Amino acid sequence: MKVISIIIKDLKTILSDKKAMAIILAMPLILMVILSFALKGTFMGGEIGNMSKVNIAVVKQYDKDMDVKSFDNMLKSGLLSQGIGKEAAEELRVSGADVEPEKMFLEDFLESEEVAKIIDFRIEEESRAYDLLDEGEVSAVVLLPPKFIYDMKINLLTPFRNKVNIGVLTHPDRSINGQIVQAIIEAYSDAMSSVVIGKNVLIEAAMAYELGDNGFSGMKEVMEGISNAIGNIRVNLDDIVVEGRRNISSADYYAAAMLTMFILFAAGHGGRMLLEEKDNITYQRMIIAGTPRLGILAGKFFTVFLIALLQVIVMITFSTYALKVRWGNLYPIILISVSAAFAVAGIGIAVAAATYRAGNYKMAGIFETAIIQTMALLGGSFFPIDIMPVMFRKLSVLSLNGIALKAYLKIMMGYGTADIISHIAALTGIGALFAALAVLILGGKGETADVKYNKAKTVKA
Amino acid sequence: MTLLKVEKLYKNFGAVKAVDGISFDVKRGEVFGLLGPNGAGKSTTISVVSTLISPTDGDILYEGKSIIADPKAIRQKLGVVPQDIALYPTLTGYENLTFWGSIYGLKGSGLKKRINEISEVIGLNGRLKDRVDKYSGGMKRRLNIGAALLHMPELLIMDEPTVGIDPQSRNHILDTVLELNRQGMTIIYTSHYMEEVEFLCDRICIMDQGRIIASGSQEELVELIKGETQVNLRLDRMDKNILETLRSIKGVSRAELIQDEIAVSGENIDMALGEIISQVTGHGRRISSIDVKKPNLEAVFLHLTGKALRD
Repeated sequence: MKVISIIIKDLKTILSDKKAMAIILAMPLILMVILSFALKGTFMGGEIGNMSKVNIAVVKQYDKDMDVKSFDNMLKSGLLSQGIGKEAAEELRVSGADVEPEKMFLEDFLESEEVAKIIDFRIEEESRAYDLLDEGEVSAVVLLPPKFIYDMKINLLTPFRNKVNIGVLTHPDRSINGQIVQAIIEAYSDAMSSVVIGKNVLIEAAMAYELGDNGFSGMKEVMEGISNAIGNIRVNLDDIVVEGRRNISSADYYAAAMLTMFILFAAGHGGRMLLEEKDNITYQRMIIAGTPRLGILAGKFFTVFLIALLQVIVMITFSTYALKVRWGNLYPIILISVSAAFAVAGIGIAVAAATYRAGNYKMAGIFETAIIQTMALLGGSFFPIDIMPVMFRKLSVLSLNGIALKAYLKIMMGYGTADIISHIAALTGIGALFAALAVLILGGKGETADVKYNKAKTVKA
Repeated sequence: MTLLKVEKLYKNFGAVKAVDGISFDVKRGEVFGLLGPNGAGKSTTISVVSTLISPTDGDILYEGKSIIADPKAIRQKLGVVPQDIALYPTLTGYENLTFWGSIYGLKGSGLKKRINEISEVIGLNGRLKDRVDKYSGGMKRRLNIGAALLHMPELLIMDEPTVGIDPQSRNHILDTVLELNRQGMTIIYTSHYMEEVEFLCDRICIMDQGRIIASGSQEELVELIKGETQVNLRLDRMDKNILETLRSIKGVSRAELIQDEIAVSGENIDMALGEIISQVTGHGRRISSIDVKKPNLEAVFLHLTGKALRD
């Protein structure tokens, strides 16, 4: 009953504090709108080159010499000679030597002006590439499959068509960058398909009009068009769609980013509560009235918890209707919100207990000015974590808001509840850990209370 | 009948002895005063009695049971009015009373009824819907008292409840204290205002530097300086050298500078009044006022400590 009374009183106190309400509720809504619109064109569009590039590792799973040899053997074999004459076969072999699929992909495509703005690549051994992906050094691994050179030469130089699957492995924590890489590779595949289709049309037309070997005489020009085709590949990042997943717009991102950042201010506000009570002598008055210290602490915990939840509800409602943000399934969103509020409440009372023990507001001040800002930066509240340097990405696990943000974004993209269980567990664990810390800090034997002119230890309530 | 008994109470803060082995008892139904200057140890004593802090040594018995051993047993019976305003300024008076009432376990219609009764007692009926930060100092003080009365405590402890307020509010508070006492409430009242303690208290402890230097009823305390009269002189220009001269006059036992007045006391001081005036004018000073005072607690304190209560 006393805990409920404390919660009601604290909520009334905060709701009547215009400055606190401005920071807790008005500020995030304003920033949400500004950032959503200001970064609408740059968030995932062509200007992304202004930010850090996406790092990828390219793995060659083929044996280049073997593939070239196999192609030459195939040209010499009777299979192909059934359709074309000796001269045409020789012409194909000569022009085929100029067709280098590896160079096309790596130099003509990945190093093209358009793609190089977005992607930095490095050639790596397969196992090393996977390690880099796990460590967050690269956002995706592109696998050029076995027989890549052979199959591509077949596709580009002969009437036949072999299937070439360029694999893209992405890390679930860097899904945005992963989607960018997948989209770019798809754009490459589409361009190559167009070239191959053009070539096949040429050959089939020659055969239909019984042009014989003359049908292959235009092959050189077709091949020369490949570079142009690759050079003209345009990657529209706004159209990126991963199978079964939805795009994240700037409004989506910053709605979640501001939400997860500003609930930390509820913890900051909570961090001052105990010492404010002590300065007002209301803490001592509650102790004299028989309120246990842990009861007071529990009251503060649930106050911060409810304030954070209130923030979440207001921000989600506002962003849904005003910014057309699609948050995804309600149930996992509620789950994330509750666990994030729980974590915020835990941190809030830990700061409150430490601030109370210190007897001044330095601790709460440091939390509000330095720690929240650092967590916001590391957690991706200012910029998407995927485009930040690797070191920052590694440190992002230390940010409560970063964990919550990743969970919200996953649900927005269409992931299921199972995909965010680890995030929920992490947030709940953080809340429980800090709450326990707060109890340890405040729950020691006796405590300092201000008697008019001296410091004293209060009796255990 | 003794309600509260303080036995050899000590409270040290490091090397500082804030309370130095005091003992006293409070009888049921009386107004008991703790009088002393700032820093005498009154608030520390009150903090220990109200179970906020634990003593270094000694015990406090409430109805014969130690509250040091079991502080929870007394808390529901205690009402404490802190020296500072212990309220929430951004909440209304009504919200404040609702909160403090619920902290003491009141709820529903019972709580509402008590708030209405208390608002009458403290004279804030009609202003309870206003935020406390809009109240005057006197109104805050009265609400501060009201918050301690909601659960109808047996023992009300009031720590300097009239500090910094206007005379009208002070009178209202003093009348309230008397009315509560008439209704049967036992009250411990601390103050450094001698007049308030004289007006309210049945028995008084005078504290200085953590010790009780005198205790008893007002009459008993004044008896300590029986026959001693005090004359307060206000001069056109103060001169400390006069003090030694005045002390040498026959019949003068004490001459002290208290703020802008010289307090001269002694048995049959009126017989020495002519000599006093003569010595002052002999020093080239003019007397702007003379005030002959009857023996009071101020004089008792001066007599016992050699300094004024206001020091």
